[in-house]
Amino acid sequence: MLRLALGIRIFFKVLFSPRFARALWAWLEVWKTPATPESKEPDGPQRTPAIELLATLQREGRLVDFLQEKLDGYSDAQVGAAVRDIHRDCAGALNRVFGIAPLLEQEEGAIVSLPAEVDPGAWKLTGNVAPGAESARLCHHGWKITRHELPAWTGRDTSAWVVAPAEVEIG
Amino acid sequence: MTTPQYSIGIDLGTTNSALAYVPLNEEQASVQLLNIPQMVTATTVETSPLLPSFAYVPTPEEIASGSLTLTGADAEAAVIGRFARTQSADVPTRTVAAAKSWLCHSRVDRHQPILPWNAPEEVRKLSPVAVSSLYLQHLVGAWNQQFPDAPFDQQQVTLTVPASFDASARELTREAAARAGFPSDFTLLEEPQAGLYAWLGVRGEEWRKDLKIGDRILVCDVGGGTTDFTLIAVEDRDGELELSRVAVGNHILVGGDNMDLALAFAAQALFKEKGHNLDAWQSVSLWHACRAAKEALLSADGPDQCPVTILGRGSRVIGGSISVDLSRELVQQTLVDGFLPACGLDDKPVKRPASGFRQLGLPYESDTAITRHLAHFLREQGGAGSETGRPTHLLFNGGVFKAAALKQRIHELFADWFPTEGVPAPLIGGEDLDFAVARGAANYGRIKQQGGVRIRGGTARAYYIGIETAGLAVPGAPRPLNALCVVPHGMEEGTSVEVPGQEIGLVVGEPVHFRFFSSTSRLSDEPGRLLTSWTEDELQETDSLEAALPAAENAEGGYVPVRIETRVTELGVLELWCVSTVSDERWKLEFSVRDST
Repeated sequence: MLRLALGIRIFFKVLFSPRFARALWAWLEVWKTPATPESKEPDGPQRTPAIELLATLQREGRLVDFLQEKLDGYSDAQVGAAVRDIHRDCAGALNRVFGIAPLLEQEEGAIVSLPAEVDPGAWKLTGNVAPGAESARLCHHGWKITRHELPAWTGRDTSAWVVAPAEVEIG
Repeated sequence: MTTPQYSIGIDLGTTNSALAYVPLNEEQASVQLLNIPQMVTATTVETSPLLPSFAYVPTPEEIASGSLTLTGADAEAAVIGRFARTQSADVPTRTVAAAKSWLCHSRVDRHQPILPWNAPEEVRKLSPVAVSSLYLQHLVGAWNQQFPDAPFDQQQVTLTVPASFDASARELTREAAARAGFPSDFTLLEEPQAGLYAWLGVRGEEWRKDLKIGDRILVCDVGGGTTDFTLIAVEDRDGELELSRVAVGNHILVGGDNMDLALAFAAQALFKEKGHNLDAWQSVSLWHACRAAKEALLSADGPDQCPVTILGRGSRVIGGSISVDLSRELVQQTLVDGFLPACGLDDKPVKRPASGFRQLGLPYESDTAITRHLAHFLREQGGAGSETGRPTHLLFNGGVFKAAALKQRIHELFADWFPTEGVPAPLIGGEDLDFAVARGAANYGRIKQQGGVRIRGGTARAYYIGIETAGLAVPGAPRPLNALCVVPHGMEEGTSVEVPGQEIGLVVGEPVHFRFFSSTSRLSDEPGRLLTSWTEDELQETDSLEAALPAAENAEGGYVPVRIETRVTELGVLELWCVSTVSDERWKLEFSVRDST
């Protein structure tokens, strides 16, 4: 009985109060998905594309070594000498995996025309933003990837979270 | 027999291999490179168009772990590609490098498991033929995985070999390919010719404007481990331009790897001056760093110096890193003057017993001066007057020529050698130096199917069998040996020759051996010509030939009189037959590569 009474009450409340209707709608949307998301923690470690990318950058360009090292105590020249190689090798790996290319071909500083419908994922409008703007000055040409070819992992689950293996030399 | 859908070209290189392909049913289709999946670490697979020609023989534990992607059947299984190349620095005793150089090394038995060379006993060993076959199996597997509807063994396949490979090295390559599951009708193409086919593919019909009758093209092919010279003439056949391969040089075991190694040695000395003694691991990363520095410093408007850094091996990448500045002058000295020294047209390669970078086992060239080998090659072709040897055009092939200063040096030398005629014109277009050979091989397969200009060549060498002279034997001294020409230089595919001259007596009931020689310089010997003396430069001994003759019924005194008949098949395979003059019997002579001479 209680449910029937509640149903009738809500019916009229929705009919006469738009605010209540909106709130109820939003609440129903939330209700669809479980209120507390399930734990993202898998049963055991798993190799994800993100780990694979990190391992690639470490393997080819020593990126993790570099970021984990404290720079205090090194001269700029020392840092510079190492960075040249790290930069070259990380850039090479990124380009091989992703084929990184400018999003827009035009020179930075040039005036570019805007599409009728602006995709906020592809355009960041700054300055005097107003509806209907047709052109704008290009400040940053943006980047995109032209392929997505991550290496494939063939190792065991027990080492799935390993970014760089421990290296030992047998005498 | 199904019609092939693709023309596939394979460059089986000393240090890198590649596969290019082009669909046969589309006229304007461009040549593509196959992305080859390969292990890059013990637990990672990545794809790349370049497959390093290295094989790593894993331990039983590594195989049991199940992470490795192996190529080949159980007893021969190995890891092929980039991981194997990395392992060549980290675990050298389990890694095979330069298998191709072993393939043409006639002083070892190439069917015996001898590689990795000098490896400890517990390491499973592979024969040079087996390793070459593994590289090819890896490529075949990659193809079949990506083109399940166009099986590899039903395509038009072209495999390249150095022009300087002799008949037995070609036969071994063919054997390795057959083991890897190649179609039975695949073609062997010489690498420098493939380089020219790549150029022809890029130029299309325009090439007829670039070249005219009487022109001679020198293809200068410096690969990772070998250097190859080939001369191709533009001739007139029924009013049409035609290309004809007129000469190839001797097998020269010097290449880009030697250059990188030499530069690394020079850089190592600089580190030593700063008080850093490099260990083996550091030396290898130095090698890679030097390669990058070389291309920067030797480019047309390169910097005067370039830092070379070795990063620390431990996790401290900055703290552990050491660096030196490599000057343009030092690189110029080490590489350009070291490998391409200025020399006269009449200079000869110097025969020295040993050079600074000699890997045990392989007969590396004692004279690493590529220019002296070039001068020697040109003079051999030119005969008396030097003018006839002068090429009119020059095509560079091989990754080392990304360094502009090396090309420049060759241009300078031509200006010096032929002051009045001038420098050969470079053939420019589509210079993809790393992949030109594979691309050219794929293009050759297409031309073979669909028509287009082809390079006529025939055999690159003349071949001779050794015949002991009759006459009084001197105790203790071997009978003098004569050399009978059985295959003339330039003998064309699909032809055969009956060698005239005296009959030869073959012993029946036991294997007979012939010593076998080849020559790249004796261009006019006809079959049947008997040489009684020759210089060491003229004739090179290769694997001997053998045939087992069953006891014949009508043999008198245990001998059968025979004549030699030679044949070059449509696919370029050289066959030698002993044909009895008293019966219908004939016996094929096979290379006895099992024999060590």
